[in-house]
Amino acid sequence: MPCERKPMRYGHSEGHTDVCFDDTGKYIVTCGSDGDVRIWESLDDDDPKSINVGEKAYSLALKNGKLVTAASNNTVQIHTFPEGDPDGILTRFTTNATHITYNSSGSRVAAGSSDFMVKVVEMYDSSQQKTLRGHTAPILSVTFDPKDEFLASASCDGSVAVWKIEEQTQVTSWPLLQKSNDVINAKSLCRLAWQPKAAKLLAVPVETTVQLYQRDSWAQVGTLSDDLGTQAINVVAWSPCGKFLAAGSIGGLLTVWDVESKLCVERQTHEKGYTVCGLAWHPSGGQIAYTDTEGCLGVLDGLSSSSSSSSTTTSSTMTKAPASYDDLFDDDDDRPLDEGISEGARSPAKNPGDEDDDDDLIPATGRARNRSAFLDDENSLDTGSLKQGLDKFVDDVGSAIVLPAAVAAPLRPVYDGPMPTPPQKAFQPGSTPAHLMHRFMMWNSVGIVRGYNDDQDNAIDVEFHDTAVHHAMHLTNSLGHTVADLSQEAVLLACPGTDELASKLQCLHFSSWDTNKEWMVDLPKGEDVQALCLGQGWAAAATSALMLRLFSIGGMQRELFSLPGPVVCIAGHGEQLLVVYHRGTGFDGEQALGVQLLQFGQKRRQVIHGEPLPLSRKSHLSWLGFTAEGTPCFIDSEGVVRLLNRSLGNMWTPVCNTRDNCKGKSDHYWVVGVHENPQQLRCIPCKGSRYPPTLPRPAVAVLPFKLPLCQTTTEKGQMEEQYWRSVLLHNHYGFLSSSGYEIDEEGQSQAQKEQQELLMKMFALSCKLEREFRSVELAELMTQNVVTLAIRYASRSGRMALAQRLSDLALEKANQLQGEEPQEEEEEPLQYTRRNTGSGLGRSGSAGGQNRVTNVLDSMMSSSKKPTALLSSSGSTGKLNKTPFLKPLAPRPKTKVQHNSVYVRHKSGFQLWLEDNRRIILADNPDLEETDVIKEAIGRFRTLSADDRLVRHLIYTPSHSKSDEASLSHKKDPLFPCAKAEMPL
Amino acid sequence: MDPSEVEFLAEKEVVKIIPNFSLDKIYLIGGDLGPFNPGLPVDVPVWLALNLKQRQKCRIVPPEWMDVEKLEEIRELERKEDTFTPVPSPYYMELTKLLLNHASDNIPKADEIRTLVKDIWDTRIAKLRLSADSFISQQEAHAKLDNLTLMEINTTRSFLLDTLNCMYKLRSNLQPGSKYISDVV
Repeated sequence: MPCERKPMRYGHSEGHTDVCFDDTGKYIVTCGSDGDVRIWESLDDDDPKSINVGEKAYSLALKNGKLVTAASNNTVQIHTFPEGDPDGILTRFTTNATHITYNSSGSRVAAGSSDFMVKVVEMYDSSQQKTLRGHTAPILSVTFDPKDEFLASASCDGSVAVWKIEEQTQVTSWPLLQKSNDVINAKSLCRLAWQPKAAKLLAVPVETTVQLYQRDSWAQVGTLSDDLGTQAINVVAWSPCGKFLAAGSIGGLLTVWDVESKLCVERQTHEKGYTVCGLAWHPSGGQIAYTDTEGCLGVLDGLSSSSSSSSTTTSSTMTKAPASYDDLFDDDDDRPLDEGISEGARSPAKNPGDEDDDDDLIPATGRARNRSAFLDDENSLDTGSLKQGLDKFVDDVGSAIVLPAAVAAPLRPVYDGPMPTPPQKAFQPGSTPAHLMHRFMMWNSVGIVRGYNDDQDNAIDVEFHDTAVHHAMHLTNSLGHTVADLSQEAVLLACPGTDELASKLQCLHFSSWDTNKEWMVDLPKGEDVQALCLGQGWAAAATSALMLRLFSIGGMQRELFSLPGPVVCIAGHGEQLLVVYHRGTGFDGEQALGVQLLQFGQKRRQVIHGEPLPLSRKSHLSWLGFTAEGTPCFIDSEGVVRLLNRSLGNMWTPVCNTRDNCKGKSDHYWVVGVHENPQQLRCIPCKGSRYPPTLPRPAVAVLPFKLPLCQTTTEKGQMEEQYWRSVLLHNHYGFLSSSGYEIDEEGQSQAQKEQQELLMKMFALSCKLEREFRSVELAELMTQNVVTLAIRYASRSGRMALAQRLSDLALEKANQLQGEEPQEEEEEPLQYTRRNTGSGLGRSGSAGGQNRVTNVLDSMMSSSKKPTALLSSSGSTGKLNKTPFLKPLAPRPKTKVQHNSVYVRHKSGFQLWLEDNRRIILADNPDLEETDVIKEAIGRFRTLSADDRLVRHLIYTPSHSKSDEASLSHKKDPLFPCAKAEMPL
Repeated sequence: MDPSEVEFLAEKEVVKIIPNFSLDKIYLIGGDLGPFNPGLPVDVPVWLALNLKQRQKCRIVPPEWMDVEKLEEIRELERKEDTFTPVPSPYYMELTKLLLNHASDNIPKADEIRTLVKDIWDTRIAKLRLSADSFISQQEAHAKLDNLTLMEINTTRSFLLDTLNCMYKLRSNLQPGSKYISDVV
């Protein structure tokens, strides 16, 4: 297609609109239901001139510098153009006029009204009026015969009439339309149009077609239709040359016909499919302006060749394929088509237009080749794509006959890959868009920064959630700051540079103890601050020069470094800085973002080295920051919240989808903060929008986290989700303590307890479901003393094999724990327990692997105590590398371990057996040492059958461990009561 | 019961506030409150909300029904129906008065709300008088008090009971003679 559909733009408020060009074609003039007439210099004119003509404007016409409008006060007014000064009232009706039009010379105006009358008024003397009576319902539209003899009108009574103006009589009338009682109820606006210049034809939109009536004979001489037009045509307009007719329909379809051939030469759909209610050709014929019932204005451009150059040929040859179509649709110069084929191709089966529509909406890769051809309106296609494109174009070009191809201009390679996505702009997380007059410049956990930028005021309000931090501040925004951040220490503001002034960074350091609470830095010329953030004791600003500048909070310049790409946003917390930037160009709606996490302070390092940021499909970043506990977190436009999982190699885990909580499709949650403990996502519900308004003051709501695990409707899924969520959201304890912060030990132990409880519940559940393997998997996640509970549960519910495996596991765990014991702990009792556990492990775990045996032997052989400790510790360090920061916590686990290992000893079948049989062994070999006794015992125990061992286990377990368990349940293990409740014994 | 006592009861109703201070949970006989996080809504009884508000320690979030549109709907319904319609809160009058007197800056369209609630109140009190009138004139033995709030019952109780007592006395005095009964009723 040769013409280009420019994006629509907002013109008026929702409702009926009308559009026309001025005589020179320099301005587009629109009117709408807001009562304004707007004069646009072009579609890109951001500041159109507005003239208010009333409460509502129904129609307008413009000629010779006189703008005539039909307004809601039942008058037809004149304004001068382009000044817009009122120039009197042309005529009045008893109700509002619905359509007005000029004659070709501009000497008369015809107006149709809802009071069933049509008036024809002389411009130079408004007392010279002719009234045409005869319609029995409101008038829909009027049009002058270019020779000024006749006038045609359409009415809601269903008739289209032609009047002789001088005699004020009806010449003819056709019942063509559906009847209705008012213009707003009419199916179509039925804007008639008389062919300019020749004045031979009158075009009447009837349903989905346009009927052509001949002057004088008043006979129907043709119908213009389009297979794809499924909805009624609202408005038609002739090209200034009179060769083409454009029509706009209810469904937003814009069609241009060549009237001679009655073929559709151009077809475009409205980008949103709204009803087209105004249509006008540019006086040169190269442009069509149209407006819709939503108040938007659009332009089809690039029609120039079609109207001007081809018109000559069309009229002369009278063939259906004018030669000049070459320049009309340059991409079909060498198209081997003939009439027959094209007719065939019009069959609905092919339905080529549909594909056009699709292409307009979605750049499907399969058709990208053709699509690019649509876009390139000035060059021919390459031959390869031509073949494919053929049948699709046939319909549009109609019967373009092939000319011996004069030859295609040098072929240009056509790009047929995925289309790049426009990169998202830099933004400040927690702010609403900068174009709003009243906006949040920042809403975070510290407070709110609001920006006002209206007629009276350009100011910034800073307010703190906690008034203990600082009192509220009101600043005048003389510099025009657009970005802001707020912390417990300072407010940071920045403005973009202008022609004269450099971009400035301003910091209100309110927590400073000296009297100077403010500093300001000018950036080098041409460098603009795009994003900024505050950390603890520092501030950072990312600039358009792909640079990140660090400042101390007192205003000293610190490090600066280059960013790998244009910044999207940055966030700070404590000594961490998170930067997100464009890694490259995204395609097909995706953004290609990279993320860096830097750590300042004592251990300066880069934690995340510019890895890709995993966004949802076709979404962009909408919030970036840290949780209150310091875990990086981000949210994309699909509402998915992702948290950095430090224990999983710094991967991002989705923890919540805010859209799941929305009721309506267009509702969103605007996130203001994320907290891990308690698990809260603080956000503002926005009904029907993405951003909250500043007034009335929005209230914060709290959303829960929910990992997107499978089958969360089942009990199993729920518990799994709870468990992993708890694990994930308590990762920050590890980070905090490793970076030397204080941690809430109570909270941590609470969390651990909760996790163990969940594990125990899951264990009980999988036992109930006879999933013993899964039970063991779960037990592997448990701490050692919870495993003992699991063992009890298993043995009580008669699952001996499970209990056996669990006791193996418990011993292994005990071993590991002891390996972690600080080496300095070398008292006797500890060593004993260690040895005992070791031996117990080896024997009871007869089914176990090789490593256990060696482990047992190591600990047994060792006569001195030190090697044992060393050995076991070296074996376990690989698994749990917590020693450096767990140190302060060491005393507690240690005591636990001691109890536990004692406890486990009682539990183990072999231990029990050994106690019973020690005497026998000693009697048999009185000279054996302790270790040899045990060796001997292992041998004997192994000879026992499995059943035998179980029996022993059963017999001994209760009797030996009862008292221990009882004491345990009361003193040592806070978990016990709840776990017990789960046991269906 | 006098109105101040009813108001006292109304102060136990729960309302949302947005505190501007930070405080851990507080443990009271009536239940635990908080924790208070600056900027995060929390539910507290009205008495505490008003106290904090007076000390400028919080913003009060008006209850959901304290909204011009909803109240207009209720008013229309109240005017249309002959019986009492359900009210948004059993203490709507007291809460409106308390919140509007102390925290009108946190409530959008406070004046309109005041008028609307007064309208609803007037309509209901008029109904109450009317039904008391018919109750007496038709010598009914009992009346249903559906959807009446404590405050409304209290406005009419003392007067109605005294009146009934008085009338009873008059009647029972007349009983022996029994000549004038028809005159009295």
